[in-house]
Amino acid sequence: MTSIDRALDQEQLEQSKQATAQENEHDEAGNSMFGFVIFLLSESVIFLSFFAGFIVYKTTTSDWLPPGVEGLEVREPAINTVILVSSSFVIYIAERYLHDKNLWGFRFFWLLTMAMGSYFLYGQAVEWQSLKFGFSSGVFGGTFYLLTGFHGLHVFTGILLQGIMLIRSFLSDNYENGQFGVEATSLFWHFVDVIWIILFVLIYVWQ
Amino acid sequence: MTQIAPKKLPIEADSHEELLSWRRYFSFSTDHKVIGIQYIVTAFFFYLVAGIFAMIMRGELITPEPDLVDRTVYNALFTMHGTIMLFGWMFPVLAGFANYLVPIMIGARDMAFPRLNAVAFWMVPVFGIMFILSFLVPGGPAQAGWWSYPPVSVQNPTGQWLNGEFIWLLAVTISGVSSIMGAVNIVTTILRMRCPGMSWFKMPVFVWTVLAAQIIQLFGLPALTAGAVMLLCDLSFGTTFFDPSQGGNPVLFQHFFWFYSHPAVYVMILPVFGIFSEVFPVYARKPLFGYKVVAVSSLIITGLSAVVWVHHMFASGTPGWMRMLFMFSTMLISVPTGIKVFAWVGTIWGGKIRLDTPMLFALGGLINFVFSGITGIMLSSVPIDIHVNNTYFVVGHFHYVIYGAIVFGLYGGIYHWFPKMTGKMYYEGLGKLHFWLTFIGTTLNFLPMHPLGLMGMPRRVASYDPEFAFWNVLASIGAFLLGMSTVPFLINMVSSWIAGKKAGDNPWRAIGLEWLLSSPPDVENFEELPIVIAEPYGYGKSEPLTENMG
Amino acid sequence: MKFKTILTLVAIALTLGAISIWVGQLSYSWLPPQASVESQLIDNLFSFLVTLGTFILLGVAGTVTYSVLFHRAGRYDLSDGPHIEGNVTLEVVWTAIPFLLVLWIAVYSYQTYIEMSIRGPMEMAHMPMASSIAPALAEPIDESVQPMTNIEVEAKQWAWVFRYPEKNITSTELHLPVDRRAHLVMRSPDVIHGFYIPAFRVKQDIIPQQNIDFEFTPIRTGKYRLRDSQYSGTYFAAMQADVVVESMADYEQWLAEARQKSPSPAFNQAASEYAAREQKSAKAGWATIVPASPPIVNYHP
Repeated sequence: MTSIDRALDQEQLEQSKQATAQENEHDEAGNSMFGFVIFLLSESVIFLSFFAGFIVYKTTTSDWLPPGVEGLEVREPAINTVILVSSSFVIYIAERYLHDKNLWGFRFFWLLTMAMGSYFLYGQAVEWQSLKFGFSSGVFGGTFYLLTGFHGLHVFTGILLQGIMLIRSFLSDNYENGQFGVEATSLFWHFVDVIWIILFVLIYVWQ
Repeated sequence: MTQIAPKKLPIEADSHEELLSWRRYFSFSTDHKVIGIQYIVTAFFFYLVAGIFAMIMRGELITPEPDLVDRTVYNALFTMHGTIMLFGWMFPVLAGFANYLVPIMIGARDMAFPRLNAVAFWMVPVFGIMFILSFLVPGGPAQAGWWSYPPVSVQNPTGQWLNGEFIWLLAVTISGVSSIMGAVNIVTTILRMRCPGMSWFKMPVFVWTVLAAQIIQLFGLPALTAGAVMLLCDLSFGTTFFDPSQGGNPVLFQHFFWFYSHPAVYVMILPVFGIFSEVFPVYARKPLFGYKVVAVSSLIITGLSAVVWVHHMFASGTPGWMRMLFMFSTMLISVPTGIKVFAWVGTIWGGKIRLDTPMLFALGGLINFVFSGITGIMLSSVPIDIHVNNTYFVVGHFHYVIYGAIVFGLYGGIYHWFPKMTGKMYYEGLGKLHFWLTFIGTTLNFLPMHPLGLMGMPRRVASYDPEFAFWNVLASIGAFLLGMSTVPFLINMVSSWIAGKKAGDNPWRAIGLEWLLSSPPDVENFEELPIVIAEPYGYGKSEPLTENMG
Repeated sequence: MKFKTILTLVAIALTLGAISIWVGQLSYSWLPPQASVESQLIDNLFSFLVTLGTFILLGVAGTVTYSVLFHRAGRYDLSDGPHIEGNVTLEVVWTAIPFLLVLWIAVYSYQTYIEMSIRGPMEMAHMPMASSIAPALAEPIDESVQPMTNIEVEAKQWAWVFRYPEKNITSTELHLPVDRRAHLVMRSPDVIHGFYIPAFRVKQDIIPQQNIDFEFTPIRTGKYRLRDSQYSGTYFAAMQADVVVESMADYEQWLAEARQKSPSPAFNQAASEYAAREQKSAKAGWATIVPASPPIVNYHP
């Protein structure tokens, strides 16, 4: 092979690169979504582990509740739950609007989801403040704050992602190459919701 | 199939390219081949570090008294030896192999997520250096063993907030994040980036085993992460999850830990099964015996690996039914692994065997693996396990798996693909010397651990009764020999990479997509994506592998 | 020709079998003396597995070695071997045989386990409520048949203390009468320790804050070692004690003697090493949990 041949090869390579770059871009969103789903499945095992730990503690600990604690208030968290769960429907509506290329509709419902998520976090903060036990109040306090806190962190991450997607919606031709970011954020939000439902049943309903 | 090495390129172009490639390895490259080599080389550094720890430990154990280092130092050494070997060497080096080989074996131009790939790699030096720097904090590094069982692990005698165990937990978590990133990437790549014609049963076994291993990472690692987070809370934030004096349950941590950490052994050995399956056909010049069964049995191992973890806890106070259940599930693992072993023997049988270094390592690894499998069955049997659990018998078994089988397989893999990765040929003589030193060192180091365990010497001891002295001296000599065995390897790798003979594209006359590429492959791997038309390992049947290449 | 092959294979199998049985018998000598009922059962199982394992190891290694010796490619022979992709019969056989072997080993292990009658293996240790759900597979032997030696064991960082509740005696050496089932109640105030007497082939983790019941039957007089088997921190390796198995008469005499002695501090390896370390001006190691002060007991060697 001479250097001229090499140069020619290089040129061909460039061309084929461009050709495949287009193919790949088409594929990339699919790959990303696939990878994201795998990641969520994996992430769910952390929650499953915490749930398993919670169940073991709950069923085996003799003095489950710390002294002076009667149980958990269910009413406020139930309202919170309703809001968080309904936000899953709202985010779905937002996604439909984006699908129909109605950006303002998308932004409105997207912002509404963020507001509902933020309200959930606010409600949780209020609840935490009113509680008589802390993180280090025995196994009960530990698991309670660990589960709600770890979940809250996910809600917070979800809101952050939503914020990024909202800002992106104001940049021009942002969704030309597919809406992976929005779809992934939305999927993440549903995931966080499902986790919360299990968590709510475990911690608040099963007392 | 045989290809003659291309004529030498003009010197200027050649050295220019080399210089560039040399720099690439120190950059934030997103090329899977660069990342693969970055992984392997970085991991090897940590392997040497943890190996030195092991040699200091064996130095301590050459006499019964605790005379070489303080007991706290010894405890730190065995903790960090295990930790760095697993998190700094094993997982990264295997990620390196998977990174380098999977795309070129399935006909992809790169991994599915090249940037994620690079980020995952650059976490390795971060947590590796954290492990090493933890020697400098007051109170020293973690001293609770790599299992980090509470309550010992949360006792924190210094009372400092920044302590060895804290850094350990943080570093292990970062390692977990890096591994999950890698696993998501590798699984997506294998499932979605295969070239035309690369159906499931045209994939090389290495790809199958990597897939099987990475699935374990995905479902197993999060459990360890959960346990580590809770342990960190106990250590630093005053919770009592695992503190029995305040209602916690220390055995729960053991469940979290082993739910991941036993399958983790399969994460490590499965790709090595893959390497064996690639190497034997090449040097025996025969197709892999029962390819499909070998491939599928990897996934069976993955499935079973999720239900065996309690066998580490037979002496922890496990109910009888649990002991029996997990004994049986553990023993069942030997069926799919047995299938593989017999298939390799079937591959070798009646072949045209060449004893090049990769083949030597694969053969040595195979024999060591059979031995460790037999001791593994013994350990799974509850009555025997009650006697030898937590003794040197387990240490011997484990090192026969990890070193005798896995590291042998890795060495074999490095030699086998070295010409592909570097374009150069290693020195066969040094390779053979390396093999024999390693094989003798391994036997001398790890075989005596079995009688020690049977006699009742517990693991993790800095001192022992004089009755154990004889076998310990032998083991120590073996350990020093093993340490020395890396010298010819390093000389071989460095000198042949710099000044070795040029290897052709396919020096082993091997069949496989990677061998149709130039050595080293171009940045984009394939000029044109291959169209695969044949099953792998078509030795003895001159039939092209692809429609459009070589 | 075929007959000859079969004959050769049979001859090889018989030779391997003979070697395996020999190694299996040899394996008894790799283990400590059989000082308890449990040890005999475990050793038989171990010997069986060694026999089986030797056969498999020799079989595989022998086949590979034969191949390597006699199926080598010539120096300039670049041809491939025969294109054999597999053999379904063979594959079925080598899946089925290991499966059956595994079943055999599992059943044998199960029987041994039952015979050891390890007391309903510590449901309490595992999950305090599990005892109500899962009856243990192994039932304790009928306690009415034989009186038991009741002993309380305390394991702490890093000392063993044995208390004989009936006589209210404490000791740092474990004395047991021969041929009588021993019943231990083990406790740990700090971390997980492992109660392990190699000569008895018994081992049990002691989970802190729980009473761990444990039983075995010593059958051979002599002095043995008790070791901590679950890593327990800095002086883990030093946490050992002597176990003396003696005739009933000697045992009674020892109890009587020990009763006369007033409690005094025993020698403790960890505590004395720690004291020596603290006295040195140059610190060799890192901070450690301070060992418990030497136990104050009636009897210490």
